[in-house]
Amino acid sequence: MSNRRKHIIPARLSAMLIFAVFMPFTYSIVFAQEDTIAVPELNESFRVADSLATVMMQVYKFEDYDNLIRRGDWAFRSNQFNKAIEFYERALQLQPQQEYPREQLRLISKKTRKTILDYMFPSVSFEKSSTLIQALMVVIIYSTISMILLLIYILFHRNKLQKLDKLKQELKEKYQTKLMDYLFDVENSTDVIDKINAVAKDSFKRVILADEMKDLMVNLSGDAADRMRDLYYKLNLDVDSEMKVFSYKWHIKVKGFRELAFMNIKRVNEEIVSCLQSRNPIVRMEAQLALVSLNDEDRFSFLDNIKRPFTLWEQINVHEMIVAHNLEIPDFSRWLNSPNRTVILFALRMIKVFDQKAVWEKIIPLLENEDVEIRNMSIFVLGRLKIKEALPHFKHIYKSETYENCLAILQAMRNMPDELVINFLKLVLDKEDDVQLQIEATKAIYEIGEVGEQALEKLMNSDYKNYQIIIKHVLDKRI
Amino acid sequence: MAEIFDIIVLVIRNFILVLTIFIFTAYVVLAVYSAFTLRNYIRKNSYVDYNSLVLSPLTPSVSVIAPAYNESKTIVENVRALLSLYYNNFEVIVVNDGSNDDSLDLVIKAYDLEKVNYFFDYRIPCKRIRGVYKSKNKSFKNLTVIDKVNGGKSDALNAGINVSRNKLIVSIDVDSIMEPDALLKMVKPFMEETDKKVIGTGGVVRIANSCEIVGGQIREIHLPKSFLARVQVLEYTRAFLMGRMAWSRLDGLLLISGALGMFDREVVIKCGGYSTETVGEDMELVVRMRRYMAEHKLEYVVTYIPDPLCWTEVPENIRVLGRQRNRWTRGTAETLIAHKRIFFRPKYGRFGMLGYPYWFFFEWLAPLVEFLGLTYFFLFVVFSSPNWPFVILLFSFVYTFAVSLSVWAVLFEEMTFHKYERKRDVLKLIGTAFLEPFLYHPLTVVWALKGNIDFLLGRKNWGKMERQGFKMPQRNKK
Repeated sequence: MSNRRKHIIPARLSAMLIFAVFMPFTYSIVFAQEDTIAVPELNESFRVADSLATVMMQVYKFEDYDNLIRRGDWAFRSNQFNKAIEFYERALQLQPQQEYPREQLRLISKKTRKTILDYMFPSVSFEKSSTLIQALMVVIIYSTISMILLLIYILFHRNKLQKLDKLKQELKEKYQTKLMDYLFDVENSTDVIDKINAVAKDSFKRVILADEMKDLMVNLSGDAADRMRDLYYKLNLDVDSEMKVFSYKWHIKVKGFRELAFMNIKRVNEEIVSCLQSRNPIVRMEAQLALVSLNDEDRFSFLDNIKRPFTLWEQINVHEMIVAHNLEIPDFSRWLNSPNRTVILFALRMIKVFDQKAVWEKIIPLLENEDVEIRNMSIFVLGRLKIKEALPHFKHIYKSETYENCLAILQAMRNMPDELVINFLKLVLDKEDDVQLQIEATKAIYEIGEVGEQALEKLMNSDYKNYQIIIKHVLDKRI
Repeated sequence: MAEIFDIIVLVIRNFILVLTIFIFTAYVVLAVYSAFTLRNYIRKNSYVDYNSLVLSPLTPSVSVIAPAYNESKTIVENVRALLSLYYNNFEVIVVNDGSNDDSLDLVIKAYDLEKVNYFFDYRIPCKRIRGVYKSKNKSFKNLTVIDKVNGGKSDALNAGINVSRNKLIVSIDVDSIMEPDALLKMVKPFMEETDKKVIGTGGVVRIANSCEIVGGQIREIHLPKSFLARVQVLEYTRAFLMGRMAWSRLDGLLLISGALGMFDREVVIKCGGYSTETVGEDMELVVRMRRYMAEHKLEYVVTYIPDPLCWTEVPENIRVLGRQRNRWTRGTAETLIAHKRIFFRPKYGRFGMLGYPYWFFFEWLAPLVEFLGLTYFFLFVVFSSPNWPFVILLFSFVYTFAVSLSVWAVLFEEMTFHKYERKRDVLKLIGTAFLEPFLYHPLTVVWALKGNIDFLLGRKNWGKMERQGFKMPQRNKK
């Protein structure tokens, strides 16, 4: 039995006994015999009654105390320490001499003293974070549904693609036969047109028909090409192509350019010209290529209108177009003074590729151009075209040039070997510390021929610098 | 004291929560952004005729540099594959990095090589060059083999850069298999930009385990049979198609894979070449190049191509994979610490304000935070009573989100290049996505943690990488 019980049970029992014995007696004295009892007896009665009241109060206090202790214990067991503290403190007020509530309060204080672990691992209530729970539920549901839908889509997408490919192939074969009939069966061409019109009803089929005609057109020329073009008009596919050019979707626009270029339809050239300044590089490039095809009078006039950089990629495509279609090559020096630096670079490249040596005098001033890349390209082009008149200019600008341009100058000198520059090259070899410049200078000396070889032999015997290793490197033809 | 503890705990818990929210949000945003970028790229690419590039005299010249260390099993085949790349203006530089096996002898014999009187210009410092070899056979005139003292991959690449004479260099692992048109695709971005200088281009690296290889080229593509390799297919798909694609567009790309990358040679040389001080030399170079350009106030861009350009063998052994991931973590940590001044510096543009912080918080710290979270959870279980319904809900959230992200990655692959043609392969891949969070992801966290510990201990070794070797068709085996 606990310490608390030891005190409380005897106290409660004695109080009850006193109450049971003295209550009837007191009642009889005070109320039943009030007229006959003398004063001393009455005083004695009151004294007894007072004692009884005191005992009663004690009994009630014990009763309350007991109650509070019970409630405090319940709160303690339920880990509701704040409530337990309240009950035990009230119990102590009733029975300050009792040790039990004090001990309990000490125990609670010990238990509720937080450790790092208590701070680190607080109990989490599920109900407290309902918003978070809702958010998590939404994501879980979304993720699960998306997973299932994606899986279905992925599997069906494969089937769809296969079916589409099959359909396209079938239609292509069908149209190819009909187009061949049209090209070679002149007498029944009207029937064939009707038949083609009948099968190519919707836009999907018309796109495939247009593509097929475009593919065939690549291998056609002369009358056959004219007939194909005529059919394109008769089937109103030219209108479709023109509509595409005005589309706000860039990939449709580009498709329109290509179709018009293939079929040589020039009605919307102005719209194509406006696309030269497009922010979309594909639209820009396709517009350039379409204009090279469609603008018979001046195929490269688009170069006069380019405001944006004419990228190397675009330049390669234009060059490829010239070569593939065997187009008439213009005098590219026309663009050597273009306000667009990239157009100048293109013109220089084309001068080199198409070996337009005659324009060399127009290139020389570019050696003084403020753009380092233009200067580099000019040196390179003059070297490749073997314009010996440029050699004095090279010598003149060498000192003030960048490292890359110095290398380009030495390479250009190597391309057009001349005894006139041998001393200059020896000076470079002697004064420059950079190995690449030294190697290029040595190569250029070697290319001069007998005089150059003799000069190198002399240098080989010298112990100065790395001459021997450099010359060995240069003379090794395997490198 | 109690208040301080309260604040500390609050900060830790909220940091984890905030970081998690940010990571998940970033993944979603990057995936959406990648989707649009990919769609645009595929559309644009449908109008590109790479043949015009092959025939053109205007295409820039390229040097392909392949460092090799003890690669005798595959080196002859791999060099042949490199020599047969579809490009008109390129050279192949194979750097034998002091191999202990007969790699060099095999190459010398196979390609009829002889030592030449090469004057080696050490523009970028590297270990001593023992010799430079060229072929007597004119058919291999664009092949150069450098034999040097062992100095590691970075050192070998630096030696190759010193020998290369072309404007563009491509660094490739000699055991990787390049797509024949890889150079054409990689060179295109260099020709498209004029306002900004393109300093580097990366492409998608795919996994070649279980694929059929003939003559150093992929003949048939299969999904790897091993679970470990398959799960890396998912990882690579997520990283390349969902992450790097978007980062490239956002101009925040910090990494071009060491397996394949094309760079502007002069910028690389000006930056000092590959660092031999780090095990993450690929990332470090890109960060240093970007930093160099930004500090010199030069307009530049690092581009990325979503086309599969290169195939590589990934580890199928947990130990080897662990070593690889450990190295990656150390490489990331070393690079981020070495270039800490970029962190949230507007001077570096999006690279400093977006790219670097993303890598710092989400690539480097995220696995550590994840480990911290998991440890916290287990201690919670021991020292307190977790709210189990909430734990299950939280777990379901993370799991379904992770799996759905992987399924999205599979969709990206399906809508773009669909290299795995069999339905069974796609189903297997999705099945792997369901298992990955349980069977594989915890390992990556442990490896990342170990990598960080090794980083703090200053360990610099690469760790031995054992390769399975590519699958050859039956008749070739004979």
